[in-house]
Amino acid sequence: MITEQQFTNIYNLHASKVHRLCLGYASGDNEIAKEWCQEAFIKVWKYRKSFKGKSSIETWIFRIAVNVCLGDLRKTKKNITVNDGLLPNNNNDDDNDDDNDNNESNIKKMYHCIDKLNEQNRALILLELENIPQTTIAETVGIAHGTLRTRLSRIRKSLLKCIKNGK
Amino acid sequence: MENDQLTELWEMQANDSSIFNPKDIITKAKKQRNSQYISITVMSLTVVVLFIYTFYYAFNHWNTFNLGLTLMITSLTFRIILEFYSLYRKEKQLISMAQKSYFAYLKKYYKARQIINFAVTPICIAVYIFGFYLLLPYFKDYFSKGFYTYILISGIFSLIGVSAIIIKSIIKEKRFLKQLLS
Repeated sequence: MITEQQFTNIYNLHASKVHRLCLGYASGDNEIAKEWCQEAFIKVWKYRKSFKGKSSIETWIFRIAVNVCLGDLRKTKKNITVNDGLLPNNNNDDDNDDDNDNNESNIKKMYHCIDKLNEQNRALILLELENIPQTTIAETVGIAHGTLRTRLSRIRKSLLKCIKNGK
Repeated sequence: MENDQLTELWEMQANDSSIFNPKDIITKAKKQRNSQYISITVMSLTVVVLFIYTFYYAFNHWNTFNLGLTLMITSLTFRIILEFYSLYRKEKQLISMAQKSYFAYLKKYYKARQIINFAVTPICIAVYIFGFYLLLPYFKDYFSKGFYTYILISGIFSLIGVSAIIIKSIIKEKRFLKQLLS
């Protein structure tokens, strides 16, 4: 069974990835994302005895996180309001101003485009963007590894197209 | 924009350093667990008391007061147990299923909830109201006019309040089911 010390290590290792996964589901709303992240780790602790080690602990945590985000009854906001604190740091250097503005706008567009994906594709791309190994992604979502690779390449293409064209 | 730039762009977001402390999460999890245990204990005790009362006392002195009381408590207990069971099952599936299976489960779950919301809950409320109605003549006889009026009015307002909460959650669940099916 997972001890308090092990839980702390697991949390420190995965919390930021889980938080960003939740951010993707919450269309950039940091308050909701933090709530979901917390809820996911509360469940990890509460049900630690149920973890039998059939999959890796990472897979188990991401499954819980994805399912927590999926099962929340709150209606997704139509307006994407990415919290300023999450956008790239602005500095006063004029040369970087244009780049920063461009990145900010692209991140907002990215959230908007992720929001347009169906539930499964959204989970796939958010896990992929966090550099989660593909075997873990396949186990988290419950699809074959071969299918995942094809699907990811298709989602990436459509996301790029959406960010460029806004569609 | 190239393929890898998607990951770069995603990683450009600042990490929110104010995520929680693992110790606080453990404390919250323990609190949640304890409150669940308390709720289950209270519910179990209510059911036990109801059974003892019904079998050892009410059946020997059966009247409409006992019938009313039994109907009210039974309908309420049944609905609450059903709610707990349904939430418990959902949580068990959440921690054990992959996203694909859980998504399919959620669709089934909220379809089943519609049956509970539109058939089981109204029956429970009707039984509860009928039980309350059976008690009223006894209240009228035993209590003062003022207190009887108070019971009557507060009973009606409580029912309106509970119904409003139920309707709100039905609307929320219906909207979510629509979202899941779209």
